[in-house]
Amino acid sequence: MAFEKVLTRNVGHPEALGVRGYRDRGGYDALTRVLRMAPEEVVEEVKRSGLRGRGGAGFPCGMKWSFVPRQHPKPKYIVCNADESEPGTFKDRLLMENDPHQLLEGCVIAGWAVGANTTYIYIRGEYTKAARILEEAVRDAYASGVLGENVLGTGFRHDIHVHRGAGAYICGEETGLLESLEGRLGQPRVKPPFPAVVGAFGCPTVINNVETLCCVTHILQRGAEWFKGIGPDERNTGPKLYAISGHVERPGTYEYPLGITFRELLEGCGGMYKGRGLKAYIPGGASAPMLGVNDQEIPLAFDHLARAGSMLGSAAVIVMDETTCVVRATLRLSRFFAHESCGQCTPCREGTNWMAKILTRIESGKGTEADLDLLASVVPNVGGISLCALGDAAQGPVKSLLAKFGDEIRDNLRHGRYPLPRQRFFDPGAAS
Amino acid sequence: MPTVTIDDRIVEVPAGTNLIEAGQRVGIQIPHYCWHPRLSVVGQCRMCMVEIEGMPKLQTACSTQVVKDGMVVRTKTPAVLEAQRAIMEFLLINHPLDCPICDQAGECALQDYGFKHGQAFSRFRYEEKRTYPEKERVPLGPHVLLNMNRCIHCTRCVRFTQEISGTGEIGFFQRGARKEIGVFPGRPLDNPLSANVVDICPVGALTSTRFRFAERVWYLDKKPSLCTGCDVGCNVTIEHRRGRIRRYKPRLNPEVNDHWLCDFGRTTAERYDELPRLLAPRIRKDGTERAVSWREALDTTTQRLRARSNEGPLAFLGSGFLSSEEAFLLAALADAVDSPHRAIWVDSGPARRIPNPRGWIEGRDAAPNRRGAELAGLVPGKGGIDASELLVGDAAARCSFLFVADSDFGRAAHDPKVVERLRGAQFLVVMGWADTPLARVADIALPVATHAEREGTFVNVEGRLQRFSPAFPPPSQVREALSVLGELLARFRPELAGRSIAEVFADMAAQRPAFSGRRWEAIPATGTVLESIARVAPAAEG
Repeated sequence: MAFEKVLTRNVGHPEALGVRGYRDRGGYDALTRVLRMAPEEVVEEVKRSGLRGRGGAGFPCGMKWSFVPRQHPKPKYIVCNADESEPGTFKDRLLMENDPHQLLEGCVIAGWAVGANTTYIYIRGEYTKAARILEEAVRDAYASGVLGENVLGTGFRHDIHVHRGAGAYICGEETGLLESLEGRLGQPRVKPPFPAVVGAFGCPTVINNVETLCCVTHILQRGAEWFKGIGPDERNTGPKLYAISGHVERPGTYEYPLGITFRELLEGCGGMYKGRGLKAYIPGGASAPMLGVNDQEIPLAFDHLARAGSMLGSAAVIVMDETTCVVRATLRLSRFFAHESCGQCTPCREGTNWMAKILTRIESGKGTEADLDLLASVVPNVGGISLCALGDAAQGPVKSLLAKFGDEIRDNLRHGRYPLPRQRFFDPGAAS
Repeated sequence: MPTVTIDDRIVEVPAGTNLIEAGQRVGIQIPHYCWHPRLSVVGQCRMCMVEIEGMPKLQTACSTQVVKDGMVVRTKTPAVLEAQRAIMEFLLINHPLDCPICDQAGECALQDYGFKHGQAFSRFRYEEKRTYPEKERVPLGPHVLLNMNRCIHCTRCVRFTQEISGTGEIGFFQRGARKEIGVFPGRPLDNPLSANVVDICPVGALTSTRFRFAERVWYLDKKPSLCTGCDVGCNVTIEHRRGRIRRYKPRLNPEVNDHWLCDFGRTTAERYDELPRLLAPRIRKDGTERAVSWREALDTTTQRLRARSNEGPLAFLGSGFLSSEEAFLLAALADAVDSPHRAIWVDSGPARRIPNPRGWIEGRDAAPNRRGAELAGLVPGKGGIDASELLVGDAAARCSFLFVADSDFGRAAHDPKVVERLRGAQFLVVMGWADTPLARVADIALPVATHAEREGTFVNVEGRLQRFSPAFPPPSQVREALSVLGELLARFRPELAGRSIAEVFADMAAQRPAFSGRRWEAIPATGTVLESIARVAPAAEG
C-alpha cells in the first residue's frame, strides 16, 4: 500500500538518534514554530486535527489538554506514558529506540501548549535499550539547547526526566502510573478527580502515550488539515502504527493510515503463516475482544471497531490461525489479567482470578455446560464496577470467546483438551 | 446548602458531603466496607455502588460528593442490587466462612451484608479457595493478630496507621488475588493506638489478642460509659457479661476521642478483675476483722467523727476516681465537721494521647477526675493538711480520724510504707471497690461501686464535663459512694437526707462557681466545657 511513512520516517536512519541528525531530517522545526505561537493556538490546532490518544482509550488529545486549568497556582506536568505493556504491543518501543527526538519534541510542544515546564517519561522497566537511548537523547537535547532553562533560545524552560518503571502492567493505567511515579505502590486512584486537575504530585497533569506525542510533532509541522486528511473519517484521523504478531509471515510494526482493514494489514505482512486459515484475531491488544473470520473487512479504527464490539486499543493485532485453541488462548489472556490485577478492588481482584479458574477447568476438559452459564454471569460483573479499566479489559477476551466461539468451547467440554487426539475420547455424537 | 435526591427523598447537606453520609441523614443505608468517615476515600471495596441520573455507569457513593443541587441518586435499582450481589459473591468465594470459630461473628460486616445483599448458596464449588498458608495467626503487634484468609482487602487498617496514628506500620503487599496486608520487617504494630485497627476491621482478619476467644459477642451487654485510664475522658462502650467487663470499645465523641481509644485505656477495666473486691462493710477491731451491716459501719464512723476525745485533725483524702458529685459530698462532710483537712491525691501517669478532628488531646493524670474533684471543693481549706503531708509526711499520725476514698486511689495504696503511714491515724476509714492493702488495715472498710456500676460526672483535661451511667448493678452488699457519703452527711445535716444525684448536682452548681448554671439533666451526650477552667487547661496540640 502506497503511503508516506510519517511516524517511522526516521526508522533505519541511525543518524536521527542525535539532535544534529534529527534536525537535518527536518526535526525540531515544529518546535521552533510552536514556540512562536500562543499556547491556546497549539491546543486548538491539535483539537482540529482530531488526534485521538494512541494508548488505548482513544480520548481526543486536544480536549484532554484543554481540561488543564490555564491559571493554576501549582506547577503543571506532562507525563509521557511509555509503560507499553499491553500484550502484543510493541509500537512505542520502535519509536523510542529509533526516533527518540520525535518524542522529545512532542513532549516540549505539549509542555508549551499547557504551560508545563517538566515532562516525566515513564518507561516500562524491561525497555532497557529504549530507556538508554532516550536518556542519551535527553542528554544530547540539553547539550544542544533543546531542553533546559532556555529552549531553543526562547526563554521557555522545559525539563525531561526519564523514569523507569518496575514492570507492572497496571502502571500503564494513568493513575497507577502516577502513583508509581510518585514512589508509591502502583495502584490506580479513584476518579474523579482526573489527572488534568489533580495529577502527578497533586498538580494538573497531562498524560499522553508515546505515539500520541509523536503525532503531535507532525500535526504542528504539517498542520491539522494534513492530519485530518489521513484516515476514514473526521473522528478517526492520522497515521497509525499497527503491531502485528502471531501467525503471520512477517510480524512487526507497520505504519498505515488509520482505518486500514485487517485484510489489507494481513497482505502487508505477507499473509498468514504458511498460508494457513485464520481462526481469530485480536485487533487492539489483550484487552480487545477477539474478532473472527467474518470480521476481516472492518476498518481498524476507533469507532469502526467499537461498533463491531471490539476496540482499537493500542492497535496491537494478534493473529491466530486455525491450529490455535481459542479457549486456551483466552485462558492465557485471562491468567495474564489475574496476574496483573493490582488487587485493590474487589471485582477485579476476585473476578479475574475466578474467571481464570473457570477457564482452566473448561480448557482442561473438566468443565460442564453449567460452567458456561457461570462464566457468562461472572464476566459482566468483573468490569463496569471495577475501580479502573483493568476489570473492563479482563472481560474483553472472555466475552468474545463466549459470544463468538461457543461451538469451540463445547467441543472442548466434550473432547477435553484440544488439540490432543480426539480419538482418545469417547464421543457419543460421533459414535452414533 | 445543596440538596440531593436519594431514593425519592430530598436531603439538604453541606457541600462536599458524600452520598453515604447524605443517605445516613435520612436513614438510607448504603452498604460499604472500605469507607470510614475519618479515613481517606479509596473506593476499593466497590460495595457502595449507586445509580446517579445522567451517569452511564454505577458510581461509588463514597467517592461521590454532593456539590450542587439536582443530583438524583438511586440505591435500590436492579443494577445496584446486582452489583451488590456480585461484590458479596466475589468477597465470599475466597473467604474461609469460618464464622463458628471467628471472633468477629455477630459483629461482622461480611455477615450482615451477606445476609442483606448476598445469596444463600455458593457458585464457587469446584476450585480451591485462595489461602494464605502460615498467615492464619500472624501477630502484627502486642495487641493485634492477623488472619489473612479472612481479609477482604479494604485497607482501613493500612490507612489508619498512615493517616490517624501516623506510624505507618501496616502495608499492602503483593498483587491481584495474592494481595495481602502485613507489617514491614522489624516494624511491629506497637503504637499506642494499635488496637483501633481491630475495631475498624469490618471482618475477622484483625482480632484483639486480649479479647480473642473470650466471649461470643452476642452474649455481651453494651452500655455507654467513660474510660478511667487518664484524664482525657474517652467515651467508651462497656461490653460486659453479667457484670464482668470483657472489653471497652470506643464510642464516638468528635470532641474527645472521636472514633478511637488507646491501647492502655482498653486494659484499664482489667483492674476490676485483678484486684480482690470488697464485698461487705468490714470492721477491724483488736486485730480481728468482721463483716458488719451498713448501719453498724456508718454508725461507728459517725460516732468516731463526733467523738469528744478527738484532739487531732479529722482528715479527708479523696482521689481522682471520685465523681464530681462524690467529691462535693466528701468536701461537704468535711465542712459539716468543721475540718479544713480536705485533700486529693492523683498519680501522674505517662502521657496518653488521642487524636480527634481538632488535633490531639493529651492526658497526664492516671485518674479521670482530678479537675472535677477539685472544682467540687475537695481542696484543703485554710491551714488544711494536703495529700503529700499525709502520704509522704507524718501528718496522718496526728489525725484522730482519717477518711480515704478510694481504697485504690493510686500506687501509694499498695505501698507498704504509705499504708503504714496512713495507718498511723487513730481511726482509719477506707471506702472503695477494691480490697487493697490499705483497705485491709482500715478500722472500717466501706465497699462501694466501681465506675461501671454507678453514675456521676468527670471533668477531663480540657475542662469538659461528661456524664457516665451504670452499665450493671453492683454486688448486693455494695453501695454507691454517693449514697454512702450522702447518708453520712445527713447524720450531720439532716435536711440533706435522701437527695438524688440530680439534687446533689444542683447543690454543687449552686455552691461551686465552676458548675454554676449547669443542670444534671441538661449535660449533653458529648459533654460540655466548663468555661472557667477551659481557659487554663492545656490547649490541644497538633
